Amino acid sequence: MQRFNFPVVQPEPALEELRADLQLFMKEEREAGNFRPEPECWMASADPEFSQKMGKRGWIGLTWSSQYGGHDKSALERYIVTEETLRAGAPVGAHWIADRQHAPMLLAHGTEEQKLDILPRIAAGDCYFAIGLSEPGAGSDLANVKTKAEKVPEGWKINGQKIWSSGAHISHYMVALLRTSPADGRNRHVGLSQIMIDLSLPGVTIKPIVDLSGDAHFNEVYFEDVIVPDDCLLGDEGGGWKQVTGELAMERSGPERFLSSYITLETALWQLTGKMGSDSHGRLGKMIASLRTLKGMSWGIANLLSQGVSPETEAALVKDLGNRLENDLTMEVRALLNDLPTEEWSPDMRRIMNIGVLRSPPNTLRGGTTEVMRGITARQLGLR
Amino acid sequence: MINTEAMVAETATKIYTDLCDREVPHKAEAGEYPQALWDALAENGLPLAWVRESNGGFGADYDEVFGAIWASAQAASPVPFAETLIANWMLDQAGLAPADGSASFALSGHTPSADIPFGMHADKIVLFDEAHQEISLFDNRAATRSPEEALSPDGMTQFIFSGHVAEQSAKTNLSRRAIEALILTVRAVQMAAAMEMALNISIEYVSQREQFGRPLSKFQAIQHQLAVAASECAAATMAATQAASSITRNAGDPEKAWHEAAIAKVQISHGIETVTVPFHQVHGAMGYTQEYDLHHYTRRLWAWRDALGNEHHWSKLLGAELALTSPDQIWKGVTTGEWIAS
Repeated sequence: MQRFNFPVVQPEPALEELRADLQLFMKEEREAGNFRPEPECWMASADPEFSQKMGKRGWIGLTWSSQYGGHDKSALERYIVTEETLRAGAPVGAHWIADRQHAPMLLAHGTEEQKLDILPRIAAGDCYFAIGLSEPGAGSDLANVKTKAEKVPEGWKINGQKIWSSGAHISHYMVALLRTSPADGRNRHVGLSQIMIDLSLPGVTIKPIVDLSGDAHFNEVYFEDVIVPDDCLLGDEGGGWKQVTGELAMERSGPERFLSSYITLETALWQLTGKMGSDSHGRLGKMIASLRTLKGMSWGIANLLSQGVSPETEAALVKDLGNRLENDLTMEVRALLNDLPTEEWSPDMRRIMNIGVLRSPPNTLRGGTTEVMRGITARQLGLR
Repeated sequence: MINTEAMVAETATKIYTDLCDREVPHKAEAGEYPQALWDALAENGLPLAWVRESNGGFGADYDEVFGAIWASAQAASPVPFAETLIANWMLDQAGLAPADGSASFALSGHTPSADIPFGMHADKIVLFDEAHQEISLFDNRAATRSPEEALSPDGMTQFIFSGHVAEQSAKTNLSRRAIEALILTVRAVQMAAAMEMALNISIEYVSQREQFGRPLSKFQAIQHQLAVAASECAAATMAATQAASSITRNAGDPEKAWHEAAIAKVQISHGIETVTVPFHQVHGAMGYTQEYDLHHYTRRLWAWRDALGNEHHWSKLLGAELALTSPDQIWKGVTTGEWIAS
């Protein structure tokens, strides 16, 4: 009996054909100067024009029905697309979150009208979503959300503030975790609901937060008497906590949890062909062993998810290991580059490395901190 | 996951459950060799699982046997079951009859002697002589065996091949890399299994042991140490399973499984320190005693990570090989597990 449930699955040959198409597209776009590769591209590099190109090729909305503008493909095909965009460091940040989690959420809980209206726009690369979980007083302690939705004749009236909402400034909607009724004594998991908010509504104010590198991809979002219709409640009233934790399993195990900095290694490999010393060989071997192992774990979870199994603990393990690997990769590549005099680093190498270092702190924070992940694992081990 | 449902795996699991409880490894170290355990494995033909049927074995798929090895490692097997499986596989690949009794193995390029795991207990030694592309069977019982200061309770001896006449010998097409692929995969499965068992023992201990008026398991500092160790264990199981899957897919040409086997070696061996440090730490001094079970696993882990070269050696070997290919091929390998030799 093994404690952890990660099936080993060989990819179907058809998936590898899809991979080849993606690789060709990314190469052409990059060579045409349509993007400059960056680490953490799914979070910090947004380019609506690039998203629309991917939409045209059918690489957004793979998993949902063509009735809603999707492409009737599997979650595993989507996995290949995400993997190849991360390898390329392509600017996919605009559509990533909507494609990953909000479209499936709408499919599960949205009205027919919402699905027909919004899903085709997401698949076209035209419509973007932001996550509305964190608040000033609710970070790791997510159940502490205070932003309220009150029942009113027109629907729900929302007051409060969300924070760290990546891409909210270019997004059309936010799905927010809101308090719709008070906590039941110490049980704060009741009375929370997920509500979709049109960010163009009156009463919504979005203020950018500038990160330490000078980028402003995340935001504070204020709600002042914002009224949304009844059908914007997604799922069960009061069932928000369960829905959110279920989604997190999906969100925590994807390739973006361990490949965000792969572009840094990839760039260095092209630079260092034939120039690596024995120490660098050791570093490379270790990095590749870790990447290959994480890929197996993440792919194993993707296969379970595609069968309707949602392994929360395994996902937490992948996120903890993967986030540490992402940061280790950046540091290890710095060491690899010791084999090359600094003046021989290409401008791309220098730029990507610098961005990689600057963007490393949030890896182990977003989507649940390392400490929260270890808490989940400890609970599964029976320690708490 | 390692396949634990095949018949070979189920039979071995039952034998280890019946004949190798927690006391057996203790007794074995005190000099009471568990002959009954070996006899049961042998009577069921399990050490011949990878030998072709035409040569007197089961002709089992690679995949069907790894679950048996998993069970043996979780029981801290004091008999050379995995070693005999490997030795018999080497003999069979060279067209030689399987060993009569238990066996261990050595890979020798040029040196006249080699370190033999389980050298004090194995009846026979199988040697792969790379320079002559030859596989030979030696009688270990007739040899003068000098026990080495070994990390593992399984022991290690020096065997001086020169001056001994092989009982059987045959030329082979088998490459060193093919043999390495199998040995590294077997060791990876053993390491992952032992890591998981040591994790289980640690969880059991911190749940019972109380300090400051509560179980150790309630301290966040303890929880996080074991959570980190658990993620390393999960990664080890995955690395071992991918290696097992690779050699099963490439049964016709095990050399093609070399990369995934080397990756498992590197991944797991690098993780040994990450797990054995917290396992011993949460046990306090108790885990350092001979009386307690933890060392049956941690000492074997420390020995297996060194077997056939340690994690640093293999990281360099793997990295050097990859550096000769291209970034495109490296990416293909990472994403699909299909590697091309440079």
